[in-house]
Amino acid sequence: MLSVTGLGKRHPGAARPLFSELRFAVGAGEVVALVGESGVGKSTLLNCIAGLEPADTGTVLVGPDAADMARLDEAAAAALRARRIGFVFQAFHVLPTLNVAQNIAVPLLLNGIDAAEHPARIEELLARVGLAGFGSRWPASLSGGELQRVAIARALVHRPSLILADEPTGNLDPRTADEVLSLLLERVRASHAGALIVTHSQHVAQACDRILALTPEGLR
Amino acid sequence: MMRLGWWLIRAQFLARRGATALSMLAIALGVALGYAIHLINDAALADFSRAMKAVQGEPDVVIAARDGAGHVPLALIDLLSRDEAVAVLAPVIETRVRIGDTPMLVRLIGLDPFSAAQLMPMLLPDQANDAMGRLLDGAVFASPALAAKVGADTTVIRGAARWQTHIGGELPAAPAGERLLVADIAWVQAHFGPREGVGEIRIRLHPETPLAAWRASWAPKLPAGIELRAAADNQARVSNISRAYRVNLNVLAMVALLTGAFLVFATQLTAVAQRSTQFALLGVLGLPPRQRLLQVLVEGLAIGVPGSAGGLLLGFGLATGFTRVLGGDLGGGFFSAASPEIDAQTLPAAGFFALGCLASLLGALYPAWLNRIQPLAQALKTGFAQRQRPGAGHALGRDLLLILVLTVGALALTRVPAIADLPLGGYAAITLLLILGIVSAPLATRALFGALARAWLPAPQKIAVQNILQAPLMAQVAASGLIVSFALTVSMVTMVSSFRTALDQWLDAVLPAPFYMRSKAVPLPAELLADLARPDSPFLRVERMAASSFSLDPQRPAVALLVREIDRRQPGARLPFSGAVIDVAPTEIPVWVSEAMQEVHGIAVGQQLRLPLLGRDVEVTVGGIWRDYARQFGAVVMSADDYLALGGHFEATDLALWPRPGQEAVAQSWLRGEAQRLGVEAAASGEIRELSLSIFDKSFAITHALEAAAMLIGLFGLAVTLAASIWLRARELATLAALGFDRAMLGRAVVLEGAMIAGIGLLLGLACGIGVGAILTEVVNPQAFHWRMPLRVPWTQVLPVAGLTLLAAMLASGIAARQATRMPAARILAGAQ
Ligand SMILES: Nc1ncnc2c1ncn2[C@@H]1O[C@H](COP(=O)(O)OP(=O)(O)O)[C@@H](O)[C@H]1O
Ligand SMILES: [Mg+2]
Repeated sequence: MLSVTGLGKRHPGAARPLFSELRFAVGAGEVVALVGESGVGKSTLLNCIAGLEPADTGTVLVGPDAADMARLDEAAAAALRARRIGFVFQAFHVLPTLNVAQNIAVPLLLNGIDAAEHPARIEELLARVGLAGFGSRWPASLSGGELQRVAIARALVHRPSLILADEPTGNLDPRTADEVLSLLLERVRASHAGALIVTHSQHVAQACDRILALTPEGLR
Repeated sequence: MMRLGWWLIRAQFLARRGATALSMLAIALGVALGYAIHLINDAALADFSRAMKAVQGEPDVVIAARDGAGHVPLALIDLLSRDEAVAVLAPVIETRVRIGDTPMLVRLIGLDPFSAAQLMPMLLPDQANDAMGRLLDGAVFASPALAAKVGADTTVIRGAARWQTHIGGELPAAPAGERLLVADIAWVQAHFGPREGVGEIRIRLHPETPLAAWRASWAPKLPAGIELRAAADNQARVSNISRAYRVNLNVLAMVALLTGAFLVFATQLTAVAQRSTQFALLGVLGLPPRQRLLQVLVEGLAIGVPGSAGGLLLGFGLATGFTRVLGGDLGGGFFSAASPEIDAQTLPAAGFFALGCLASLLGALYPAWLNRIQPLAQALKTGFAQRQRPGAGHALGRDLLLILVLTVGALALTRVPAIADLPLGGYAAITLLLILGIVSAPLATRALFGALARAWLPAPQKIAVQNILQAPLMAQVAASGLIVSFALTVSMVTMVSSFRTALDQWLDAVLPAPFYMRSKAVPLPAELLADLARPDSPFLRVERMAASSFSLDPQRPAVALLVREIDRRQPGARLPFSGAVIDVAPTEIPVWVSEAMQEVHGIAVGQQLRLPLLGRDVEVTVGGIWRDYARQFGAVVMSADDYLALGGHFEATDLALWPRPGQEAVAQSWLRGEAQRLGVEAAASGEIRELSLSIFDKSFAITHALEAAAMLIGLFGLAVTLAASIWLRARELATLAALGFDRAMLGRAVVLEGAMIAGIGLLLGLACGIGVGAILTEVVNPQAFHWRMPLRVPWTQVLPVAGLTLLAAMLASGIAARQATRMPAARILAGAQ
């Protein structure tokens, strides 16, 4: 689902590269934790994989058709993201002007999926993330844990090949964090997508299939 | 994708109802104004040419004397009638006369019934009852409007000439509102002249005759004082009459549209800034970059489309209401009082609709582009990235160069003469000047507040100063809006005040006598003049003037010829000269021309001119140029003695009257009675003065509404952008709050920031406004309306407006600050929005 080779990145003006010659893969249904000290470049790595920041070297093959994200222009990268990638962020990023169902519908709209299919898919996912009946609620009236569940539903609704999550539980209290995480792992595994989850929590990392540690010297 | 776009637009409109409605309103106003002006003018022109066609028929060519006192000689008629290409040749004598002792001035048209039947059938009576026979026998026929008012027997009077005749019947097809008499040309000629010819000849050519070639072949054969006008010339002439006025109104409509564009800009810019994380998220989820651009453009269109549609409705309503109430002259006094039918034309409607949409797109363009280029990962993390200015030293040089280029460009454009009679250079210079104001804002900020940054200040003030000095995008937008709106306000106030002061002084100069009597281009009756000359008349002194007109260019409106009793050695006693006056050699004929003549025909003092007077070219010398706010298309003054010496008839149409000391009241009531009896105007100079000034004030009253609208829009832009910039810095402000700033201190910082932005805006706006005012008075007015006036800045009006705006700006910032600080700091800091 994800295959990274020779990936290198140096921010303009930085003395030395953040990372270089990174090589790893994430298989279908596999959940990989990415750990490392703050500032080591985890978010940057995720951005490079998603085509949000250009990598200097290397290839990033995403999805069953193994398109190379690193070779795509902005528009093609956006199209590939829309089709193959689901995102979960630390800061939730649920659109405040759309209700819960509309938020979850965004990836379906971006993929041009027939509107007639939307309600069923959204309802089903909402039930799976424990938010049955929340479709017409507005984000402002939801708790942090509930918002992150909406984000998880949104990341999965279009059946992506790869889930990227950047500290998805960082803004939640420990109990809610546990609940949300197990939900995320369960849903990812059920969907047969690969997942790369950045986390600071040992607990979270342990729950994953495999742990990658990013250090200034490279992956361990 | 459409659905997502629609959701976003709906959410946006709901969240920002006020800003959206106001932007729509501004667009609507611009469209309405432009469309209404077009409709009214079009209807008035159509009405005018319909009336003209009815009276004139539809000749291919008119050959006429250029001068009211001239005529087309019989020999020329003879020659023309032998031209094979001429199908119909209709001689006409037209003059203005008085009917009996009624206070009525009417047009008398003398025509040849046989040729008129082919060319001007609407001017003929019914064929029944031998009307033609009676016409030939010397009866006159009246238009319906007139027939109702005159008896069977009537006297037609012009100056000393009288014609005792009777009304033969009605002219059923004559234009309804027109007071018109028609008679056989021979009878008119016998009573009122001209003896040796006719006033004009209307010609229909054989259809296959090429007009241009025919015209060229005849041009050299025409005697001096005779001109040949094609039908197209007439149209150009009619359209030229109100052209500058119309264009000026259209420029106002464009300004309204541009303010609409500015409001869309401010609204969409802040909308983009506030939603930058949302758009970044959508981008991360896979919204294509093109779509991020399009979404903002479509949101702009979503303002523009309903705004333009509303504007069309409003414009149609305005045009209909306006013509019902005021007639078709747009307040310019150019067309008759008839109220024309307004017809909503599809093509112009589509055009103005498109213009409104274009304005909204224009406003959304930069915000859309900013939205397109936001770096996704960064915007998601820290929100809207306001472009930081590059190093100050580099920017300083670039800014100075730009300012220099703009200044030189604007100055150069003010030197450009009128293009197609329009002050296009002046308008362009005004645009450059406004851009100059906007461009200099960051420099002015640094110059004014740079020192403050180094001084010791309390923390809130320090923060405000520092923030302003970084010239963030929002502050620049806010300042730009104020610069432009205040500049427009100052310039309008300056122009109007300069004009009014000049008009006031001019009225003093041109109204030396206590009383005036005026009969529009119809000679005053000889008895009246005789009465005035009697030793027992209450008047000590009477100065006569004969007003008529002549044509210098068939495509331009006629020039007024004012023959006056004036001392040729001391014309300055009667005419308000704007420059040097020279003594003209006794052998030469001096004329004094108005500034419009100088402007339109490039005439200078001392120049020799050949004027088409009395049926020939008369050689005259320009003795001076005087100011005339009454006759926009030019006037030439000649002394009555010279005119008589040239062989002209001096028949007074206007009188200036000085009553005997102590008999003012008697004189006034005598004058009133005579004026009423004769249907002419009489007034004391004070009344004329008051009336002129009140007409002036009325026609410029609309500018006050525009000024208020401009200031409101500027203030609104300030409020919107300031609120957005505070919103964008919510985190920063919350941090400050966490560091121990209380709400009052935050409020103070924001209010000071608003005050500084407003101060810069007002200061630059004032400078630009005076500049624009100077361009309006020195370039635009002379070129468009041929009016010159000295520049005068009305500080007593400008400064209070500036003070009020500053207060309003601080109030707006206070409100914006209160709203921004209402959000609990902890929530902002936690990053939940
Ligand atoms: N746009 C950028 N320009 C320059 N440096 C950056 C940029 N984004 C991140 N960095 C730097 O790159 C490093 C890695 O950042 P990041 O990937 O966010 O770390 P992590 O997510 O592992 O905490 C940090 O030192 C940060 O300062
Ligand atoms: Mg990170």
